[in-house]
Amino acid sequence: MGVTILTQFALENKTGPQTVEVLSKRICALGAVQQGHFLVDCETYTSVPQLGHQRTVHVLHNSEQPATVFSLLDNGTKITALATDGLFDLLMMKMSQFYTSKKQTKAESKGLRYEIGDFYVKLGTVTVSSNYKGILVEVEYRPCVVPAMCWDLLKEFLQGFLGLTAPTNPPTYLQNRMQEVYTPIDTIHQYLEHFTMFRKSPGIYRN
Amino acid sequence: MSVNISVEAPIENQIQEITYDGTEIYQPPLTLSESLAKYAQKIDFSKTELEIKKEELNEDSKSDTDSKEAFQSSLWPWDSVRNKLRNALQEVCVLADVLAIAKDKRYLVLDPVQQETLETKPMVQIYARKKALAGAASVLLAGSEKMKNSQTEAARSRTTLDFHIELLRLRQNWRLKKVSNTIIGDLSYRTTGSKYLQTGTFEVTKAEDEEKTNSPPSSPLPGSTASAKPTSALRVSIPSELQGVAYIEVLCQKDQEDLCTANLTLLGSGAPPTNPDMHWQQKLEAAQNVLFCKELFNQLAKEAVQLQAPVPHMVVGNQIMATVLPGIQLIIALRHSTSSDKKQQNPPPSKSDHDHVLEHSLHQLLREVHHKNTHHPFPHPATGPLGPSKKRMLAGPMAADRYELLEMTKTQTLLEQIVQQAQHFIMRMRTEYVLDTIAKEVKDPLITSHWNTLNSPTQSCVKIHISTHGYDAVCRTPLIIHVGEKSLKCICRDGKVMNMSYEPQELRDLIFCHINQHQILAVQALAKTMGWQALGNSNHLGTGTVEPLGNASSCLLSSPTGDRIIAVRCEPSTDTQVSVAHSPRQDFFPSRLVTERKWEHLGGQFRDVRLDKMEGRNFLHKMELLMASLTSSS
Repeated sequence: MGVTILTQFALENKTGPQTVEVLSKRICALGAVQQGHFLVDCETYTSVPQLGHQRTVHVLHNSEQPATVFSLLDNGTKITALATDGLFDLLMMKMSQFYTSKKQTKAESKGLRYEIGDFYVKLGTVTVSSNYKGILVEVEYRPCVVPAMCWDLLKEFLQGFLGLTAPTNPPTYLQNRMQEVYTPIDTIHQYLEHFTMFRKSPGIYRN
Repeated sequence: MSVNISVEAPIENQIQEITYDGTEIYQPPLTLSESLAKYAQKIDFSKTELEIKKEELNEDSKSDTDSKEAFQSSLWPWDSVRNKLRNALQEVCVLADVLAIAKDKRYLVLDPVQQETLETKPMVQIYARKKALAGAASVLLAGSEKMKNSQTEAARSRTTLDFHIELLRLRQNWRLKKVSNTIIGDLSYRTTGSKYLQTGTFEVTKAEDEEKTNSPPSSPLPGSTASAKPTSALRVSIPSELQGVAYIEVLCQKDQEDLCTANLTLLGSGAPPTNPDMHWQQKLEAAQNVLFCKELFNQLAKEAVQLQAPVPHMVVGNQIMATVLPGIQLIIALRHSTSSDKKQQNPPPSKSDHDHVLEHSLHQLLREVHHKNTHHPFPHPATGPLGPSKKRMLAGPMAADRYELLEMTKTQTLLEQIVQQAQHFIMRMRTEYVLDTIAKEVKDPLITSHWNTLNSPTQSCVKIHISTHGYDAVCRTPLIIHVGEKSLKCICRDGKVMNMSYEPQELRDLIFCHINQHQILAVQALAKTMGWQALGNSNHLGTGTVEPLGNASSCLLSSPTGDRIIAVRCEPSTDTQVSVAHSPRQDFFPSRLVTERKWEHLGGQFRDVRLDKMEGRNFLHKMELLMASLTSSS
């Protein structure tokens, strides 16, 4: 449990792996210890026209919550979030007649995971249907669950190793929820926001 | 009412044949001559008329088919009648001839036959009657003997129960099955979830009859039968490895000195097992207890070998040694005394601080394992996988992270749990000891501790109040101490949390520091009620001699008019010091340096108050008197 901030990061004239290398050097210099890998993936299913108004289901997995499948149902006006156990994947397979997946939109962010005191830092390389799209930095502060209470601390920490490009405002998703208790589904919302941005952006084929 | 009733004439003629389409072909009725011949044929002329009549009735009741066959078989219907009549005529002719010859008395004489008369002898008659009477008497005697036997049998069955009734009782409590001609019982815990390999079978046999007859015949007096031990009609034979008495001894040892002991036995198993008169119920219970203790010890020994403890556990023979806290060992031993190897040596007399909790815990822990083996949580979607705990099933929807999931996979072994309980037990005992000794040593602020009555095997809580007698309402310092397995957590009055290790000295120091703080706070609270003003206080005074533990605390109080100042300094190791200063001095003489009177308010010299010479029950009382006297004198 903790508050997670997700931000995109890019360096001028640097490829993805180079950027990750720079960041990991910086974070290790601060005293972080590498603790394995992480993976967040997102698959999007759209409803078939026979079902009427088109709806989209985003199914996400986060290696931080290995037993959970997150799904976000987007009907255009509202997003309904659902956290279920692993059987949901099998359910989606059964529903392939109603919800079809577009394989070319499968997005994932994977990379190394670091621990530094109360902070967890994840440097993720984002690929959309195995095309490199950019870098996502996830920072989690474990001891706190209310974003408003630790935003300044997180901001300072982010500036510590991202430099001036670090965000100065909380992520748009969190801005209305700063006083609420943070849950893992909020992390998923942030990932989805970034994945949709990466999908829409023109491809960066630099690796 | 519209029910059709079919009326049909009874069948007069016999049915000869029924065709496949169901039509019945009747026999034509007999003609008059035919029926006469049929009846005449049935006449038996050798019988008397009465017999003939009877016979005819019987014949009529018989089925007619026979007669019909007989009728058809003979060549001529009157043949048998004619034969019989001819035979009768022949006999009558012969008789007439004999009578005619006898009448002549020339060839044949009819003599009357002499009837032999019976000789009646009186003695023989008497003997015969005697013999008959003796026979009758023996029959009566045999009958009475039988009745007496059944009576005694019934009387005996009241004291010694019937084998089958006993078997029924046995069946109500134990598992039995019949294998060919023997009855085999099972006293293992396998049906309740035990996975111990040793079998606990026993055999049930009927008690020998000789033993029954050897026992004195039941006397009619009910008092004597009650005093005699009722012998059972049932024998149970238990395998030799389960005989005897077993118990698990739990000892907490500190440098060869026992801190606590606990013996795990079942009640009533103290009877020597050699006694064959022991009731089968007790015998089986003792054997089951042996099996249980063996399983428990086996499990503990297995875990002791597998566990990677910082100080490795030792398993030597029937003894497991685990280090609980530095210098303190937990010894778990299996004591099994069989009847054969030595005379029953009683367990060492239990000490006064005999602790039943560890004994009970061990019991409970293994039973919990058994329970878990048989009671699986239901899968929540009925199609879901069987096996994961309810917590694990909720982990998905509750989005548990990887650490929570890792925690769920961790299970504690029996030994770990019992070691934790022993650690907690020692921690609790040490805390109790420290609190009691401090309460005994320190008289001035009273220290009262309230132990929560409800606690878990590994956590308990004590609330401590520091207050001064007579001034409870003025100031009271509460402390809460959570006693864990290897550490203490103290929540102080101001909400600070202090974590302490298992060393009791740390708690002692903490309590002494709090006593000091209490004194300073109480003096200030008292001063407020007296109208004095607290000028300042410090819990951690940097001045003065260095204290062996903690820091001195102090406060400054000024009288309502501000002309007196009291300084109080509390040190954990030494007593409290109280000093008084007057300001301004009563006599003021302006000098060249101090021209104005107002400068005298800076205060004069502090002079020590000898508290031990003062009146008053305790420190606060003395301070109250001091403040009162200083206030009045101004």
